[in-house]
Amino acid sequence: MVDAFAREREMAVDLVRAALAKGASAAEAYLAEEEELVIEVRDERVEDLKIARERGIGLRVLQGQRLGFAYVTGWSPASFARLAEEAVANAGAASVDPYYTLPPPAVYAQDLDLYDQQMEEVPLAAKIDLALALERAGRDYDPRVRLTESCNYEEHRFRVVLANSQGLVAAYRGSNCGLEAVLVASANGDNETGFHFQYSLKYAALNPEEVGRKAAAKAVQMLGARPITPRRVPVVMDPYVAVNFLGVLAPSFSADAVQKGRSLLADKLEQRVGGRSVNIVDDGLLPGGLASAPFDGEGVPSRRNLLVEQGVLRGFLHNSYTAAKAGTVSTGNAARGSFRSIPTVGTTNFYLAAGDAAPEALLGQVSTGLYLTQVMGMHTANPVSGDFSVGAAGCLIEHGKLTTPVRGITVAGNILDILEAIEACGHDLTFVAGRGAPSILVGRLTISG
Amino acid sequence: MPFGLSKEDLAAVLAAALAGGGDFADLFLEERLTTTITCEDDKVERLSTGHDVGAGLRLIFGESTAYAYTNDLTPEGLNALARTVAQAARAGGRRAPVFDLRRQPVPYDLAVQRWPDQVAVGEKVLLVERANAAARREDGRIKQVLVNYGDTVQRVVMANTEGVYAEDERVRTRLAVQAVAMSNGRLQTGYEAVGSFGGLEAFEECRPEAVAAVAARRALLMLEARPAPTGRMAVVMAAEAGGTMIHEACGHGLEADLVQRGLSVYAGRLGEQVAVPLVTVIDDATLAGRYGSFRFDDEATPGEKTVLIERGILRSYMYDRLTARREGRRSSGNGRRESYQFRPIPRMRNTYILPGEHDAEEIIRRTAKGLLVKKMGGGQVNTTNGDFVFDVAEGYLIEGGRVTAPVRGATLTGNGPEVLRTVDMVGGDLGFSIGICGKNGQGVPVSDAQPTMRIPSLVVGGTACED
Repeated sequence: MVDAFAREREMAVDLVRAALAKGASAAEAYLAEEEELVIEVRDERVEDLKIARERGIGLRVLQGQRLGFAYVTGWSPASFARLAEEAVANAGAASVDPYYTLPPPAVYAQDLDLYDQQMEEVPLAAKIDLALALERAGRDYDPRVRLTESCNYEEHRFRVVLANSQGLVAAYRGSNCGLEAVLVASANGDNETGFHFQYSLKYAALNPEEVGRKAAAKAVQMLGARPITPRRVPVVMDPYVAVNFLGVLAPSFSADAVQKGRSLLADKLEQRVGGRSVNIVDDGLLPGGLASAPFDGEGVPSRRNLLVEQGVLRGFLHNSYTAAKAGTVSTGNAARGSFRSIPTVGTTNFYLAAGDAAPEALLGQVSTGLYLTQVMGMHTANPVSGDFSVGAAGCLIEHGKLTTPVRGITVAGNILDILEAIEACGHDLTFVAGRGAPSILVGRLTISG
Repeated sequence: MPFGLSKEDLAAVLAAALAGGGDFADLFLEERLTTTITCEDDKVERLSTGHDVGAGLRLIFGESTAYAYTNDLTPEGLNALARTVAQAARAGGRRAPVFDLRRQPVPYDLAVQRWPDQVAVGEKVLLVERANAAARREDGRIKQVLVNYGDTVQRVVMANTEGVYAEDERVRTRLAVQAVAMSNGRLQTGYEAVGSFGGLEAFEECRPEAVAAVAARRALLMLEARPAPTGRMAVVMAAEAGGTMIHEACGHGLEADLVQRGLSVYAGRLGEQVAVPLVTVIDDATLAGRYGSFRFDDEATPGEKTVLIERGILRSYMYDRLTARREGRRSSGNGRRESYQFRPIPRMRNTYILPGEHDAEEIIRRTAKGLLVKKMGGGQVNTTNGDFVFDVAEGYLIEGGRVTAPVRGATLTGNGPEVLRTVDMVGGDLGFSIGICGKNGQGVPVSDAQPTMRIPSLVVGGTACED
């Protein structure tokens, strides 16, 4: 088979050599290329179309026990000398740290099926039709759906090439696409938004009718929503809200956060941190996962890591640096946002595993409570203390049934308390890009309105 | 010739973009030098420099926009970009307008003294180390300190088919400190950030030690704080709390793209009383040194000071070229983008409420019971219905006209138009805060400010609640 990356591998190796020649004791070159297509439709026509290609290189060097980094856009060998000089100069101004290492060559999974040839071959016009179908499905759902806030088709195709001075040279390509709909329903002077989306590795899997209908249904359901008086009640969260809360907890699984004293879970290894139905997994090889990849941001093979098993904390996520510091091995969780950033520790496909219950059965267990379908300001939650107090909207649960829609309420507490109070998980595990959760039933939460 | 491209080269690319028809095209060429330094665990562990070069080309045809970008700034690379948008548009019909690129005069100066790209990285590392040491010196309970320093020098060239050509340089520096305090197994954090349009001179006036001390004291205070109360109460926002409330409660809803799509509660209300007469809201690009300032926006429109709400009357929305064109008016210079990778959209700059006549201390004295917000955290708004939420990073109870216990974990929930209609006291002071404002996946630097203000009734969402 012809190596589609022969030239790129050579460039990466050349850059590593250039860095060593400028005085680096070890070096790692990361070449990335991304093609992006975004189609935004509104009122049955294309409002925005974005077609783009970006390339860049990140260079990480060690000079003894000091780390330096520099990046540049483009893949031009003419930029290598300056890039190498900058990275080495930056290392010279950094602190000494004995735990930096670069991983050796490894064997990677070959069968991940990350690139969708069909996505490349389908013409632009067909993708535009898909976005238009998305909007139509939403607008036709109910006459009260009167506005399109956004209806988008998005796709990303990318290539990654990595080489380091340990002799590691690796490359892969991938692609993903998605549909997003945000619609507004209006009645009696009340305007409410509803959103839904779907992301996939496969173009053929996209279902514009379902995404459009669900976004519309959520907007319509919220019409007539009003605040409620403060109370402390059981709460059922839909998968999207549960994913948002899971996101607050995610940084605490990073060994880097543990080692630096900013993880909520730091001293809780092998202890109970959640209800018995709580299983949390990070799986870099998950079939169909948007964050699946043969290797992580520094070339360590991806793998499945069980983090919480039946409520007990089993482990943390490591890259090469945190692993060396803790005297363990990397879990394949070196995360790299782009060629512009130094690898940190991050999640891949990170999810709260599904339980057995149907979502309706979770509602059925609640005599008086709240079903949450929207949260606002989740980014203000504090991942270090775990405290959050966020805006929310949803629906009252009375005798196991959804009744009156509510909005303008806040939900407050601590993320660890939520984890402990999870009484049951639904069978409807749903992914939002790289994070997933099912519907969950949470014992008690403080609501104010 | 910036980027090695002549005006003729740029004119040719613009003409090629319009070859298949269309109403307007513009080019945005950008070079950005970035330095970021992170210190954590007493170590300068992330020291990164970056060099971004890219170009974005936009074609507007009717109500549609095609946008493409590349890192290849050769005439061939840019012409390929022009073909991409021309094909994407498939506009047909119209003829390309004749244009001649004329350089725009610089509307006002924003002085920069010590350019970050002329200062050795070692001096920047020293600023970070000073902040780290100062935060740790505050108290033995400060267990972890994270310091982030960043600077950017952005050089842009903008040209469009109306014949506008402009060059601009934006220089920004920022320093943020997060302190983690621990006591009895409980972690609390304190955060403080400063940023300016300017070079390293900013840290002579605003010393790293002072920023660090504020962050550390805030973390320590939160250790002592009790859970915030829950329910409706009077809220006094101190000037030093920063302007997150005005940014969320009002600013986003006045962005013309949201207004035109009917996604704002302020749509169709120009000339109407939308706030009490105590409230005048300004969005201003021209303030010296402020984080959201610039000379030209990202569509080559000169920056200006825009009065949005004047004594309670809605006077103007914030426009970029596209939204202004729809209404046959001028852009207000609010067309901004995160980088060449994005098309411009209406964005805030430095947004503030003008100081009023009440004495800040008197506002507290006249409040029998409520919450004093001394520092706001992040926030979010649903512009369609005006509901907003933001986080209180430092809050205190007000009891009997006096500031009493610190509280933690409070969030304020409210409705923008309702807040503007109910504000009953506005102080004579003014305090700024900085941030990166996110919209449609793009982050741009902004600052917000407000005087001390009282809102008679807001929902405070705390964790203290009787079962």
